[in-house]
Amino acid sequence: MDYLERCYEKDPSIVHRNIAGEAILVPIRQNVADLESIYTLDEVAARIWELIDGQRRVEEIRDAIVEEYEVSPDVAEADLVEFIQQLEAIGGVRRV
Amino acid sequence: MECPHIPEITKGRFLERIRDKIGAERIPASGTIEPTLRCNLRCIHCYIPNDYRNRKELTYKQICRILDEIAAEGCLWLLFTGGEPFVRDDFPDIYTYAKEKGMIITIFTNGTLITPEIADYLAEWPPFIVKITLYGMTQETYERITGVRGSYRRCLQGIEMLMARKIPLELRTVVMTKNFHEFEAMKGYAKELGVHFAFDTNIKPRLDGSVEPCKLRIPPKKVIALDLADEWRSEKWRGECRDFLRAPNSNRLYLCSAGATSFHIDPSGRLNLCVLSRIPGYDLTQGSFREGWRDALLQARAVEARSDDYRCGHCNKVILCGRCPAWSELENGNPEIPVDYICQIAHLRAKTFGQGAQSI
Repeated sequence: MDYLERCYEKDPSIVHRNIAGEAILVPIRQNVADLESIYTLDEVAARIWELIDGQRRVEEIRDAIVEEYEVSPDVAEADLVEFIQQLEAIGGVRRV
Repeated sequence: MECPHIPEITKGRFLERIRDKIGAERIPASGTIEPTLRCNLRCIHCYIPNDYRNRKELTYKQICRILDEIAAEGCLWLLFTGGEPFVRDDFPDIYTYAKEKGMIITIFTNGTLITPEIADYLAEWPPFIVKITLYGMTQETYERITGVRGSYRRCLQGIEMLMARKIPLELRTVVMTKNFHEFEAMKGYAKELGVHFAFDTNIKPRLDGSVEPCKLRIPPKKVIALDLADEWRSEKWRGECRDFLRAPNSNRLYLCSAGATSFHIDPSGRLNLCVLSRIPGYDLTQGSFREGWRDALLQARAVEARSDDYRCGHCNKVILCGRCPAWSELENGNPEIPVDYICQIAHLRAKTFGQGAQSI
């Protein structure tokens, strides 16, 4: 199936916080990521995190990013796919 | 557009990164909560008076509401202490709720109530670190301090259970006249386990002002001997003497993080500056954390000395003593009068670790 058709939801084993203007992901449960660390999100990453809701398809998230930021659909798509793969690797999201 | 990515950063380095910002914006990033003052031990040096232990405690629901509120205001680092937190049957639920709010949690415990079930649970929901206080390295010494038979064995079992599950652990001790002779043995035990070992020599009066525990303090010269035998502490004091020996030149009593970036909440829901400063306190059962933090704690922190010759405000050795107005209040009945014990230690540290240091 095309990656753009996929849908992801947040995994409750990682919690999103905003502290002092920094968006971070805090792993809270065993078997996810590296519990010694937290993960910081830049502005676009934080926006994508917000858009991942278990209902929007990757394509829809890409379109929202293209609309909100100065970026071509191809670049946005490549970055988005890479970002979601990273999130999957640390246990931050799972496929619905 | 920035490229979205997820840089990994250790929790300590993240704190360094946002330290200036949380200070400038007065964000309550760090808090302490006592879910209870009850304890299964009866330590002779404890600063909590026995008659405080059965005071009314917040319910689980009330604590959850407070956790919601402190998270919303930016609290990230949370310490659960007591009393003994595990005395509360619902502590695992309180802990889990705080975890789910994304808090980075430290637990202070005596370790004696840790069961295989609790250890398994902590392995599943790992804290940032568990800090267990060790009171001696023999049953006789340990239990002479804790007053409870069988507590030494249970403490060691608790340590073993956490170690077996690789739960981040630190051992610490309060050094006093009754266990000084076993200090090296405790340090050696921690080294053998491969965990960090910390110690504190600052025995405080009880919260009701009783100075009975202070009789257990080791002499200042012995404190310096412990500093000298510890590479990290020696280096720290040398660095402080080299870079920070200057008077605050301020009449403000609170120059620490209390009320600036940190807070304390007691079992009944009183919000205070720190674990020692319990007056006046803001009642979180009657108002919100936001209100208490922005109003009551801001005012408490801004208090200035009344006397014209406030000694700590003009002492260039305050970095070496751990000065604390709340401690002065407890020990001397006045937040402006220095605690003589730590004053002596600070002067010895300056002599020992400062420029032109001489041995004592």
